Amino acid sequence: MRLETPAAQCGPFAHDLVSIPRTMGLVMLALAPATLFGLWQFGWPAIWLFLATLAGALLAEILSLWLAGKPIRPDLSDGTALLTGWLLAMTLPPWAPWWIGVVGALLAIVVAKQVFGGVGQNLFNPAMVARVALLIAFPLEMTSFVAPTPLFSAEAPGLVESLAITFGGQGFDAFSGATVLGQVRTELGQGETLATILPDLYTPLSGAVGTVAGSLGETSALLLLLGGLFLLYKRVITWHIPVALLGTIAVLATLMHLIDPEHYAGPLYHLVSGATLLGAFFIATDPVTSPVSARGQLLFGAGCGLLIYVIRTWAGYPEGVAFAVLLMNACAPLIDHYVKPRIYGRDRRGRPLEYANDAETPR
Amino acid sequence: MSLLAVLNQRQSIAYQATLLGGFTLLAAALLVIGDLTTRDTIALRKAEDLKASLSQVLPPALHDNNLLADPLTLPDADGAPVLVYRARRGLEVTGVAYRVSGPGYSGTIELILGVDPQGRVLGARVLSHTETPGLGDKIELAKDDWILAFDGLSLGDPPPERCAVKKDGGDFDQFSGATITPRAVVGALKRGLEFFQRHQVALTAPAAVSVASDPVRSPE
Amino acid sequence: MSLEPNTANKTAWGRISRDGLWSNNVVLAQSLALCPLLAVTGTATNGLGMGLATTAVLIASGFLIALIRGWVTPEVRIPIFVLVIAVLVTLVDLGMNAWLHDLHKMLGLFIPLIVTNCAILGRAESFASRNGAGASAFDGLMMGLGFTLALVLLGAVREIIGSGTLFANASLLLGEGMAFLEMTLIPDYRGFLLAILPPGGFIALGFILAGKRLIDTRLAEARQRRESTAGAGALAGS
Repeated sequence: MRLETPAAQCGPFAHDLVSIPRTMGLVMLALAPATLFGLWQFGWPAIWLFLATLAGALLAEILSLWLAGKPIRPDLSDGTALLTGWLLAMTLPPWAPWWIGVVGALLAIVVAKQVFGGVGQNLFNPAMVARVALLIAFPLEMTSFVAPTPLFSAEAPGLVESLAITFGGQGFDAFSGATVLGQVRTELGQGETLATILPDLYTPLSGAVGTVAGSLGETSALLLLLGGLFLLYKRVITWHIPVALLGTIAVLATLMHLIDPEHYAGPLYHLVSGATLLGAFFIATDPVTSPVSARGQLLFGAGCGLLIYVIRTWAGYPEGVAFAVLLMNACAPLIDHYVKPRIYGRDRRGRPLEYANDAETPR
Repeated sequence: MSLLAVLNQRQSIAYQATLLGGFTLLAAALLVIGDLTTRDTIALRKAEDLKASLSQVLPPALHDNNLLADPLTLPDADGAPVLVYRARRGLEVTGVAYRVSGPGYSGTIELILGVDPQGRVLGARVLSHTETPGLGDKIELAKDDWILAFDGLSLGDPPPERCAVKKDGGDFDQFSGATITPRAVVGALKRGLEFFQRHQVALTAPAAVSVASDPVRSPE
Repeated sequence: MSLEPNTANKTAWGRISRDGLWSNNVVLAQSLALCPLLAVTGTATNGLGMGLATTAVLIASGFLIALIRGWVTPEVRIPIFVLVIAVLVTLVDLGMNAWLHDLHKMLGLFIPLIVTNCAILGRAESFASRNGAGASAFDGLMMGLGFTLALVLLGAVREIIGSGTLFANASLLLGEGMAFLEMTLIPDYRGFLLAILPPGGFIALGFILAGKRLIDTRLAEARQRRESTAGAGALAGS
């Protein structure tokens, strides 16, 4: 699947130094700051979970390539399996037991990727398939979040203690903390208003920096934004999907907030909470599962944003990025069918363009 | 053309209409036979089901009457009818049982609640629910003995303000990861006890005549 | 391997059996009846109960439709077949409600829904309306057993992965004597809810279909190899 191989059979093919390993490397580099922050903030149990998930993803990839009788080295070293495992780990509750990461990695690689034919063939984003499957299969483990206890701080669990949490199935009720999105949903359900809920729980600053309970790599909005801008600068992704996604959420949140500020939080809350930024820059932009054309990508991003807002506000779950991305993944082929890029030399309907000098020729 | 000749023409509308009509009649006859054969058994099974769920909240030691006989119909707070089954020893009412329900996380939770004449909970059991398996289904006795915590409680015990899950400042445990489900059950049982309080006189009035009847004919 | 009407009956019976159980299996080959399949196969016992109920309907409908096929004209055959099937399903529903009440409570809505199982009308159309009563009843039996096989297989996979047991509550279906079937394969298992929910059914069915394809391919390869070596041997011998 490497693009640098001289595979041109006919026609003018443009060649570039773009290759899958290079792209994956850039994405991982962009993810690194937010990941390191998450690992520092949630300590050893998060580090073990992260490593277990990556190892699970690599093993699952080797296993499925071996079963399918494909060469293992080239596909394994392109880094896609590693990135899938990485993205999945970012969305897990940081102190989840190791088998959550491993089962999730198996689901992502085997069920969501290799069954469809491997790299570039999958219809759905593998990391999000795994996340949704885990959420449905293990609701308790997938909703047990912890308050931040930074590495080496007094209350953080030590190396040995953390092994018991990740691998020994030891409970951690003493550390438990609800995510901002989850807590707000619960208390709104009890008839509280945002004015009484939010101040205790969250400030825009804590949400942006990320010192709140949440998934392993989703808490720090600023670092994720930084990574996203880096990807834009390196032209790994284009602006269309992130801007459409974030813009739709911001517009909807602003509208609803203006209508009823007691029950609908403002745009900043939605942008810095949960997986919004991770989803906008790293997940919805997956080139395999999103539309090809710029207009299609705008539509795709707006659809994701709309679904995220609707699910967070009115549906049964407090967070909806994974569901929204999967639902829009399913729509991507349809979008590609109807929103085709214009063919060179023809108009949008496929008819040959009429040139200005045609006007001079008599008909 | 004689009738037989018409029927022999298989393409004719008459033949096909007769055929369809004949089969419909035959089908109806078969269904009637099937219904007659199974009706009594099915009614018996349903009565057994109801009796089984009633006996979970009305211990057999408490009564010597047929629980399904002469149920009482009383209006609840919204005026909707509630069917109440009474356990008696002799003519004395020793307990009543009725359905209560509350809005759970993903649908209505139906419970059956047994109450003794003093208004204390004899037992409560979940009849049906659509809560998340693994999270909210601990309200089932088969999964967890949480529901047994209500036995022996009444409207004043615990005091009304403590009659809630711990997260809301009350006395009852919630489950880790699920608050809405136990909250719905606590609310439903509280409303059930209020219903008892409202109708205590009617509910505990001793029977004038002990009615004997067979379970098959009693209403469901 | 064609079925000539006058060849020895043995071939016909064998072919019907192979068709129903494997090569033309309702689920594994025709991909029919997926709705009841996915809905009831949370446990192997439910799958078995549903499969046996469907088999009963298939046998009876095949038999009855083959009997009446001489009178029914093509124009009204579909309503009549549907009527026959609907009556049979209703009778099975009533019977199970009365005599297998606990299983009926578990399968609930899906017993009346057997009537919408396209495999039944499909067999009525493609087999029973063209063959004798005995052969049609046998075809119904084999198709039903094939369907039951798929249901039990899928139910077992989902039950083992989903709740770590096998044939839980089998005594409700088969009587106390079969209680030994109820197994707990993985003690203290936390459960994998996804496998029991419908999406898990789809995923497991996908893997089972892939498995059948794999077996078929391997068998075909083996047969080819055998034929080619036999051919080579014949050549060498000549």
